[in-house]
Amino acid sequence: MCFDRNIRFTRLGSSVSLKVITADEAHPTSSGSEDVHAKLLHAIDHSSHLLPAQGPITVFIHHNTLHAFEDLSFDEAVQRGAEVFGCHPYLTETRYRNELTKGRIAFDDLRADLHKDLRNTANDTVTNSTSRLDLRLAMLQYPFWTGTAAELEYVLAESDALKRVRSDVSSATRARMIAETRRWVIRELRGTGDTVAPGWVGELFHRFGIDCVETWEDAKWEAFSLESLWQVCCAGVQSIPIEMQPAPTPIRHRDWLVAAGTDDPDLLVNEFLVRFCAAFLDQGISLWPLPDQNLGFYLSFLRLHAASWNPPELWLKDLRGESQRLLNGNVTAIESIRESLEILGVMPSEWDKYLDATLLALRGWGGMIRQVEVRGDSVAHPIPGGTLVEFVAVRLLLDRFAVASVANEVPLAELRETLRKRGPKAEAVPLPLRVFPIFQLSQLLGWSASELHDLSPADWKQLSDEIAQFGPIERRRVFHQAYERRFRNRTLDAVSLHYSKATHVPARPRFQVITCLDEREESFRRHLEEVAPDCETFGAAGFFGVAMYFRSAAGAHFTPLCPIIIRPGHWVSEMVCEEQEQTHRWRAKVRKVLGGASHRFHIGSRSFATGAVLTAGVGVLASVPLVASVLFPRLAAMARGYFGRFVQTPLATRLKLERGSTTPGPEITHHGYTLDEMATLAERLLRDIGMTVDFAPLVFILGHGSHSMNNPHESAHDCGACGGGVGGPNGRAIAQMLNDPRVREAMARRGVVVPNDTAFVGGLHNTCNEYVEFPDADLVPESHRDRFAAAEADIERALDRNSHERARRFESAPLAITPAAARRHMAARAEDLAQVRPEWGHATNAICIVGRRERTRGLFLDRRAFLTSYNPAQDDENGSTLGRLLGAAVPVCAGINLEYYFCHVDSQGYGCGTKLPHNITGLLGVMDGAASDLRTGLPWQMVEIHEPVRLLFIVETTPEILLKVMSRSAVVDMTIRRGWVQMCTMDPDTGKLLVFQDGEFLPHTLTTSQLPTARSSADWYRGWREFLDFAAIRTGATS
Amino acid sequence: MPDYATLAAYLGTVVISVPFALMFYLGGTTLIGRKRSESATASAVAATTGVGLIAGLMVLGIMLLNDTQHVVVSFGDWVHVETPVTEKPFHFAIKFVFDRLSVPFTALTYLLFGTIGVFATKYMHREEGYNRFFTLYSLFLAGMVTAALAGTIETLFFGWELVGLSSALLVGFFHKRPAPVRNAFRVWVVYRISDAALLLAAVVLHHMSSGGDFDKLTGYQQIDGHDVAAWPYGVCRLPANQVFIVGLLLIIAAAGKSALIPFSGWLPRAMEGPTPSSAVFYGALSVHLGAYLLLRLDPLLDASPALSAIIVVLGLATAIFAALTARVQTDIKSALAFASLTQVGLIVAEIGLGWRYIPLVHILGHACLRTMQFVRAPSVIRDRHAIEYAIGDRLPRDSGSLGMFGVRVYRFALERGHLDAILDRVFCAPFLGLFRGIDRFERRIAIAVNDDQPKVEAPVATPSLSPVEEHAI
Repeated sequence: MCFDRNIRFTRLGSSVSLKVITADEAHPTSSGSEDVHAKLLHAIDHSSHLLPAQGPITVFIHHNTLHAFEDLSFDEAVQRGAEVFGCHPYLTETRYRNELTKGRIAFDDLRADLHKDLRNTANDTVTNSTSRLDLRLAMLQYPFWTGTAAELEYVLAESDALKRVRSDVSSATRARMIAETRRWVIRELRGTGDTVAPGWVGELFHRFGIDCVETWEDAKWEAFSLESLWQVCCAGVQSIPIEMQPAPTPIRHRDWLVAAGTDDPDLLVNEFLVRFCAAFLDQGISLWPLPDQNLGFYLSFLRLHAASWNPPELWLKDLRGESQRLLNGNVTAIESIRESLEILGVMPSEWDKYLDATLLALRGWGGMIRQVEVRGDSVAHPIPGGTLVEFVAVRLLLDRFAVASVANEVPLAELRETLRKRGPKAEAVPLPLRVFPIFQLSQLLGWSASELHDLSPADWKQLSDEIAQFGPIERRRVFHQAYERRFRNRTLDAVSLHYSKATHVPARPRFQVITCLDEREESFRRHLEEVAPDCETFGAAGFFGVAMYFRSAAGAHFTPLCPIIIRPGHWVSEMVCEEQEQTHRWRAKVRKVLGGASHRFHIGSRSFATGAVLTAGVGVLASVPLVASVLFPRLAAMARGYFGRFVQTPLATRLKLERGSTTPGPEITHHGYTLDEMATLAERLLRDIGMTVDFAPLVFILGHGSHSMNNPHESAHDCGACGGGVGGPNGRAIAQMLNDPRVREAMARRGVVVPNDTAFVGGLHNTCNEYVEFPDADLVPESHRDRFAAAEADIERALDRNSHERARRFESAPLAITPAAARRHMAARAEDLAQVRPEWGHATNAICIVGRRERTRGLFLDRRAFLTSYNPAQDDENGSTLGRLLGAAVPVCAGINLEYYFCHVDSQGYGCGTKLPHNITGLLGVMDGAASDLRTGLPWQMVEIHEPVRLLFIVETTPEILLKVMSRSAVVDMTIRRGWVQMCTMDPDTGKLLVFQDGEFLPHTLTTSQLPTARSSADWYRGWREFLDFAAIRTGATS
Repeated sequence: MPDYATLAAYLGTVVISVPFALMFYLGGTTLIGRKRSESATASAVAATTGVGLIAGLMVLGIMLLNDTQHVVVSFGDWVHVETPVTEKPFHFAIKFVFDRLSVPFTALTYLLFGTIGVFATKYMHREEGYNRFFTLYSLFLAGMVTAALAGTIETLFFGWELVGLSSALLVGFFHKRPAPVRNAFRVWVVYRISDAALLLAAVVLHHMSSGGDFDKLTGYQQIDGHDVAAWPYGVCRLPANQVFIVGLLLIIAAAGKSALIPFSGWLPRAMEGPTPSSAVFYGALSVHLGAYLLLRLDPLLDASPALSAIIVVLGLATAIFAALTARVQTDIKSALAFASLTQVGLIVAEIGLGWRYIPLVHILGHACLRTMQFVRAPSVIRDRHAIEYAIGDRLPRDSGSLGMFGVRVYRFALERGHLDAILDRVFCAPFLGLFRGIDRFERRIAIAVNDDQPKVEAPVATPSLSPVEEHAI
């Protein structure tokens, strides 16, 4: 006797599938199988491009989420992404309309963008007196009610929809509409003239009481106008022939089943498969590794399930037998895929789409498998190539079982056809739902019933098509254009107006600071320039040209510190100074003992006997650090730091930078660079940023990184140019090279003369807790001690102020906070276990300025601009330097910007949703809860305040040089031409701004003539939490 | 001294009532639609916990000073039926007891609740369900304190229910995604089974001894010439065969609540909620409630060696199962959940062995340590790097030779003993089958009676496949 529908189906479904297999024989090694396999491999490889390209979370590399569609234009790609991934292409209409009310989107910009899109058809009349432009503007401006037929029925019956004109219609339009109806009723409908009254009139007249029409009050006329409008619209729409929209046809069996209302087979498969994927990929959370993991995904899966018992899960009851058959028959993974597709009845012509959809069903895990198999150097335990294919094989095997268990007695191969026949036919949209949009529009545009009554069926068809053409996605696209246009105009206005009031630049600055081009350093540099007007700042990609594998003094292994596209060719290690070697060794030993003990404690507390002793014995003591670190995070961190000091690496360390004539390699004798290589790197950095003359006595080179507790996405806050690593060592390395007299000599021969009295100091800026450290400070020459101390004090003050500016964006920091308290607040955030927003990271990015700092110095850019230093005067006519800079800046900055765009626009789909239920899996990524897909992208808490606009590049160069640069680099060219970034040039001599649009450079016209000024940054932002307009900071104006 | 006794009773009332005050404040303002700022909620949570914890500690102080082991706060009989059948009237009392078992457990509850409450006020900042979280969280505190201090089984049941309700709703906190709701439902079903067992036990107890008061039930024991009813010196006054039935029901109740075999499958599923609730529920408090129930009714166990034996076996089996399973978990929260379960199993086994203070200390220590680990779960990558830096090498992978049974043991652990599937097959399928059979039978009768064609075809659900709304999980 069968208790459960599903149980019965399972048996029948699987027996069918098994029969097919046995009929097929296990060895179909026919001559054509090679070709078939190659075709399948190709299809899977092709599908794999759709998977998220995020690698292990420990090294977070920002990249364009829609990398799969990079060859399309931005708008095409986001809409294609919406289809393929089921995600939002732009913000929601509600969100844009909100921005419209707040003034963030300007109505005029909407008009301008519509004009641009429609070109000369904008003023075509759509109906009566309304132009296409007005129609579309109304559709943008006003929200339209949408819902189901049943909801609409309720709205019409119970709300004021047929009694009162929409409240957002102007009173003039409303009055005109009523007056017109009145005229129509009294002149034409009621009279016995030659006009033939439509059929519905009689009923309405009766209901409203036409006999005493003279006494109708306003409200009654209003209701009558609306009722008659509704009837006219109904009659009009009815005349339009109905076009059947074919229902979207899903491809996977699962989609068909779910559409038919059964249980979701993917629920069964995903939970089971996620566990196995995690076990296979695990980098060290489990204590027992997966048996036979070295045999690969497919074989270890089969061997695990071929052994011993049949699982009690009913849908898996054939798994053991099938695993044994595949193992004994030596059926390869690719052959098993072919088999499964055949059993499922998937035709070779459908393979591409079917495999796409199959891979996307668990896209996070599939993507991670892909990433780990391709970049084995990013993990401790790499996996062999071809794992993704084996993953597909296992997935299809499980899909077969799961589908069979919920499907009706239908054989798998015929399942989709059966459901297609049985499934609901494409249905026409019910009439009221088709009428209601036109009815709402009529009110907004003041079309009265009499006007509409005169329309011919062809006119109605045209009107309806006109509305349909401007659908929701199209409206959002226009909204987004206007949203970006407003921001672009404001930015270009500010840059342009500021240009004419160039700030004074010190002749020989007191000190100079080179930071990463990161937009978080914008405010730091601005504050530093305010604190010390006689200093100068530069921005360069934060690895400063030093691409290396680096190992710190206490480090266990080498980490690459350079952009992800580069594979470093050099190894550098940090060494402890000789005089401290003794201490170092002793401390290393203690650390090792403590580390081992701590490891055993962690493992032990999770085990049986040790766990019992630990929890019962000392468990209560854990309440002390628990309470302390939750209630007093900063104090607890200070206490930890105090005790940790005794076992830390001594601070005095040096980088082993110089190599003899040997080849570079990971062994200690092969570490470092030759003098010649150093001179090349050093010269290139200085030339790139245009720092070839007027050296200050002190030059700081600051890499950056971020440290925060309890944050799986910590690495996403580190330096992107260091491949999600901490850029301090790169700053130290380049400074050490620049300080070497032999390097300077070599550079002088190449034309860059660094004066003898200039000292370079490398360091690290922690962007989360706002600390700057200089590990090589003891190397600063005696003659520069005072200067160094003064400059360091200025940097400290700038950090206080920078913390203060950052604090305005955090609700938990009071607006009245002092700079010093803000600095403490930042330090506490970094140490707080409960803090899910240790810093905002790149959330404010929107602009990238490539040019001289003089052009933007003193401009409040609100931490929104990547600032790359570039001096066009020192570049050649081909823009060789610019080419190098853009070659790195365009992909890196656009990658950051686009990842933020997508993760903000669709947090659940493209991002990884809220952080709160995240659960680290396999040390590779996060899941929601205990068995979800791997969640890629950025969490909502990181992108919350982001304004999703495409990055606006402002490059100080001429269009000719920019075009030359673009023609040399396919990536740069594609990114700019396909509209993944907005591009704009600033003339090096006149400061004239040209916007690159659709292949041409159009001059920017100012939308305002005034740039607000403030005496300091703090004066400008004080009291504000949101994004601010740009302003000129006139530090010297009053002093 | 009467003064002290009054004061202790007064303070005890404070300990019991503040969670309810918090619950009514948070729930009430939400109910009438008043917007509360995040800081108002945070201060309310902090203030209540502070008051409750201090009052609890003061009760403890008075008990120590005064050498009292038993403070009773009674809210009287809510039902009182005189019957000629039994010698004592049936009654239904709300009563709370402060003794050596309940006071430490209550203090622990307040301490962890408060700490994690502060944690959550920052962690949940700007989250859509901020209010909902804290309303449910206060419901949990009310339930936990009630259950911990309960002096009668009906009072305990009330707290038990509140804990279950808030747990399930917090597992399903992110109700816009399907997975949390599904898993919360599963947790809820297991809790209902456990609740049903506890309710039955309460009914049987009332039937046998006309009331559910623990002290009357377990009677008095003479120590040093004094009558002492206080834990852990109660003795059972019920006949052995009755004790066995009640005991079995209590074991089922405890097993469901503490995720013992065969109910363990819900524990990893409960990790769908926000991290702080996972920490305090499944690392610390809620998961120990089953063990606490057994401790509370320990005289029953003393009276029946068979019961004790069952408990030892159940506890050890769970511990071994969980220890194996914990070793293969690849996500940190599941690993911690099963590590937690290992210790809960051991604690239960200790109770079965007749120990009293050891399991209590074990509960306290385990709760603190595990909460700490849960709260730090997102740091697992950083912690690992720190250890690797300290050791100066990558951590070796424990290849731990599993021997010839390796693959089987691994698979058993990876599939978590198939416990969910077994429950589905052994209990759910027959249960559903029975009711479906009854349904069919009823319809047939209806058709026969009405002589009519059935028109109870369920409407075909057609979920929308619109691309913008659908997300793969």
